[in-house]
Amino acid sequence: MLQHIIPATGLLFTLENILWINVGVFIGSVFAAIPGLSVILCVILFLPVTYSMTAIPGMMFLLGIYCAGGYGGSVSAILINTPGTPHAAATMLDGHPLSEQGRTKAALKIALYASTFGGVFSALMLLFLGPQVARIAAQLGTAEYFMVCVFGLTIIAGVSGKSMIKGLISACLGLLISCVGSDPMTSYDRFTFGIPRLYLGLDLAICLIGLFALVEIMAKAEKRLDRLDLDTTQIKDDGVITKAEYRRMARPVLVSSIIGVLVGIIPGTGASEASWFSYNTAKNMSKHPEEFGRGSVEGIAAAESANNAVTGATLIPLLTLGIPGDGTVAIMLSALMINGLNPGLSLFTTQGDIMYAIMLGLILVNIFMCLQGKFLTTLFAKVVSIPQEILTPIIVIFCFAGAYSVNGNYFDVGVALIFGILAWILRKLDLPPVPILLGLVLGSMTETNFRRALLISNGSPKIFFSSIYCIIFLVLIVAAVGTIVRGKMKERRASGQKED
Amino acid sequence: MSRWVEQFNGRMDAWGRKLHEKEIRIPIDLVTGVVFFLVALVILLVMPDQVAVSEKDVVNGRAFPTMLMAVMMLCCAMLVAKELYKLATRQPLNWKVINVQVEMKALVILGILIGTWALSKITGLFVVGAVFCCLGFLLYFRCRKKSYYAITLVLAVAIWAAFRFVLGVDF
Repeated sequence: MLQHIIPATGLLFTLENILWINVGVFIGSVFAAIPGLSVILCVILFLPVTYSMTAIPGMMFLLGIYCAGGYGGSVSAILINTPGTPHAAATMLDGHPLSEQGRTKAALKIALYASTFGGVFSALMLLFLGPQVARIAAQLGTAEYFMVCVFGLTIIAGVSGKSMIKGLISACLGLLISCVGSDPMTSYDRFTFGIPRLYLGLDLAICLIGLFALVEIMAKAEKRLDRLDLDTTQIKDDGVITKAEYRRMARPVLVSSIIGVLVGIIPGTGASEASWFSYNTAKNMSKHPEEFGRGSVEGIAAAESANNAVTGATLIPLLTLGIPGDGTVAIMLSALMINGLNPGLSLFTTQGDIMYAIMLGLILVNIFMCLQGKFLTTLFAKVVSIPQEILTPIIVIFCFAGAYSVNGNYFDVGVALIFGILAWILRKLDLPPVPILLGLVLGSMTETNFRRALLISNGSPKIFFSSIYCIIFLVLIVAAVGTIVRGKMKERRASGQKED
Repeated sequence: MSRWVEQFNGRMDAWGRKLHEKEIRIPIDLVTGVVFFLVALVILLVMPDQVAVSEKDVVNGRAFPTMLMAVMMLCCAMLVAKELYKLATRQPLNWKVINVQVEMKALVILGILIGTWALSKITGLFVVGAVFCCLGFLLYFRCRKKSYYAITLVLAVAIWAAFRFVLGVDF
């Protein structure tokens, strides 16, 4: 590890990287602070920008957005009782009451420090655990890799919507779309319908602009335009956090960071689950549980440290196995692959310098997030009240410019529009979009490993049950499906009893 | 001019109120199951035309998409069977209410998006589409603040300029 860290430090500490980290952190904080705009939307919008960059600045920019998104959501949660991102909902429970007590700045500071601790802790876990998991991943063959892909897709399809069956339909659709273009093994064209531009396949960024960004614009039809009037003078309190409060925060922050890392490693789970689970754990462990929901510093610290502790942990399965921990990092996988960085042990050995630079960069991202949060919070807060009338066309222009810039033609913008319409129809049919994204990202890897494994076994499917790793993943798939189905049945029964 | 705008808005409001009352109820799971079963079937039917294979291949390019479509059909069949079972046992189906007004608004937004794309493509100037997009959305939101028009147009041109001159995108 040490032989990579010194050259990685040299690669990381360049003016270009520092600049892109700060741009990413700023954009991520702004996007996450605005209710209705998500971090995933922000990453999709800015993904085409990274296509012209090399791996390290590109990843630093996207990681800046991703990590700052974890903290940015808490700004509007604390200030206007509306979480900027879904995972800031737990922060809102205590953040806003503390703000109402005239301690807005203190609440924002607690959220910022807890987020920074969670983020740095998670980055360190990635730095130490990543290479170890990659070593295990190196023992996997094509059949095992196929099972890993199926595991990732099944679990994400299962947890991303109300119905597991619908999640699987979405995943199949995503995998099918990934088949468009030339066959990865024979180069014959598939599903191109005589359109030459489809021969190279559909670019992920273009599909995602339609699936996640343009559909959100169309969803404006469903929402009323609510003006978020915010008085930023309420942030003018002294923001003092007492020593006693720091002491009270220490334990929930550490425990929640551990929870965040553990939750983040499991594909399909995410920051929301981590923050709620940590919030409840902190409440159970607290000497003052009665303060929770009334402005408890422990509550804010627990929720915020957990949702940022997820950021580095989701990268562990991504960088080692190619299985994204959540939708946002799935997009980052394409940014990595464009630069020829394919997940697995080779990433930590042959391209170790770059990989360690990215992992160390995650620590730097959290430090800059803390600095920007400390000095620019008032600005982020003002951004919360940007009117939708201005925001909506600007996002559309970004989407179209991003789609055009990928290959420099309007055909791709048209494809993004078609995907937007498709996503609108899928939304009406209650089909979740995240499994489609996973299908698109994992499609090529799943198919290539599936076919290679069958080639090795001369067409016999027995190869998928032949090794201990295959059996382990098969058991994991069955256990995951069983747990998800049981959970959904419980949910349904509980909601049925409520209705009665 | 302002009277004409008021009249137009009044008419749109009256039309919107009428549409708001119109709702379509669809058995969502049943429809999803049937639609995607048919989609999978169509894909399987067009597969021989769309996916060329060599006879020498042990596992050809059709194997994976065929497997996917089989899984999709199985999922759809389960979805339909579940709903039919509910129907047979007189349990309530999973319904979704589609509001016609919301869908019309979405179509207007889609129109603005298509207009933006078409104008950019026809003129070859992205900035023309961007200006149309700003004006289209501000009118859709019935914005009356002149400052918003100015800010949005300046931002639109700034984004175009950033992509054109900073990132080197030629449009």
